[in-house]
Amino acid sequence: MSGPAGSPGPDPGELEALRAENARLRAAQAELVSAARVSSLGMVVAGIAHELNTPLGALRSNRHVLSRGLERLQVILEDERVDESELGELRRIVAAVNAVVAVDEDALARITAIIVSLRGYTEGGGSAVELLDVRAALDSAISLLAHERGAQVTVTRDYAEVPSVECLGGQLHQVFLNLLRNAFQAVGERGAITLRTRSAPAEIVVTVEDTGPGIPAAQLARIFEGGFTTKGSRIAMGLGLLITSRIVARHGGRIEAQSQVGRGSAFIVHLPLAPVRLTLTETPPANPA
Amino acid sequence: MSEPLSTGRARDGAGAIAVVDDEPMVTTALKAFLELETPYRVLCFDAPGAALETLERVPVQVVIADFMMPEMDGIEFLRRVRDCCPFATRILLTGYADKANAIRAINEVGLYYFLEKPWSNAQLELIVRNGVERSELFTELDARVSALEAANRDLTQLRQRLIRAFL
Repeated sequence: MSGPAGSPGPDPGELEALRAENARLRAAQAELVSAARVSSLGMVVAGIAHELNTPLGALRSNRHVLSRGLERLQVILEDERVDESELGELRRIVAAVNAVVAVDEDALARITAIIVSLRGYTEGGGSAVELLDVRAALDSAISLLAHERGAQVTVTRDYAEVPSVECLGGQLHQVFLNLLRNAFQAVGERGAITLRTRSAPAEIVVTVEDTGPGIPAAQLARIFEGGFTTKGSRIAMGLGLLITSRIVARHGGRIEAQSQVGRGSAFIVHLPLAPVRLTLTETPPANPA
Repeated sequence: MSEPLSTGRARDGAGAIAVVDDEPMVTTALKAFLELETPYRVLCFDAPGAALETLERVPVQVVIADFMMPEMDGIEFLRRVRDCCPFATRILLTGYADKANAIRAINEVGLYYFLEKPWSNAQLELIVRNGVERSELFTELDARVSALEAANRDLTQLRQRLIRAFL
């Protein structure tokens, strides 16, 4: 309301209108960010559904084999004797049961692994402060996004020993999911992705590198502003990077992007081991200006 | 892997089925079920390349392939199957059922059935039995057509000889 004393600033009415406009834009942006979160959650859910299809398909089929095998055994035993001609049938049933029991164990282990990788993403809705090994978080992002990975895409895990970081675990999981998803989208059906962890004084550095088409310099400069897409090269980052950079900032860290058209891109996240102040609220920090 | 993961028990006279999926979990479950409930022999492969090598030598009536595989996707694989064994019935079994790929599969490789994971064994059994029968009918038809063509050639030669004899 009150402009700097003595200076010929904008009149109070104009200032009020600007403030209102600013508040409206902020509200709209918050809404977009929250919509992008929901859509990113939707993608994760779709991915899990897809990942569960294989072990569930096997379990369902095997359950049927077990009950059919049992039915057949009962038929053979009905007359309380097993003759020569039935021995072959018995062997077939035993072979089938043996095979499916072994597969069931693998299938259950697979489902358990999927649920475990999910836990980090959901626990405490991202608002619980914890000590996180970023390598485990990167691994869980790889398995959660398996369905988005092109058939001829390699993922190299170049992990150096790093200490755990104090963070909002659920939110950092989201950072790695976003970065890895962008990398998968950038390389498409064929390419290489490298995940790196490095230790530096008082911080750790996580790099997600891809051999995708790269990002032109003009776009690279605005890449963390949100709404950035380059269609045609299959990069549609939308608000993902805006959210990502905000989460990193909330942890007292920073994120940078390097890219060379035709060569690929790298996203580098610096995270302090113990952030000075973790902002637990969802609202973006006020502009320092 | 250049050899099949496992060869099915040979049962004389019955057909053979090839199952191709990079998940041994799926191929093992399908083999256990089909060998228990049908008279067919089941060959399992965890890579499309190895499957193609074998299919060039060993006749099968039905090929069931996953969609998402390294090396090549299920559609490309089934296209090559069509080239090497045109009478084998082609089935795509996929956990990633998008409409565009379904259309592509049906139009480009003459797909017999598009089956989604998780599948129903009862449905699978019916599809496989019909698929084997269909393949056998094609093979028989082809043999009949060849026999007719041979007979027709013989007749033509005979007729030419007759014409020459009477001229």
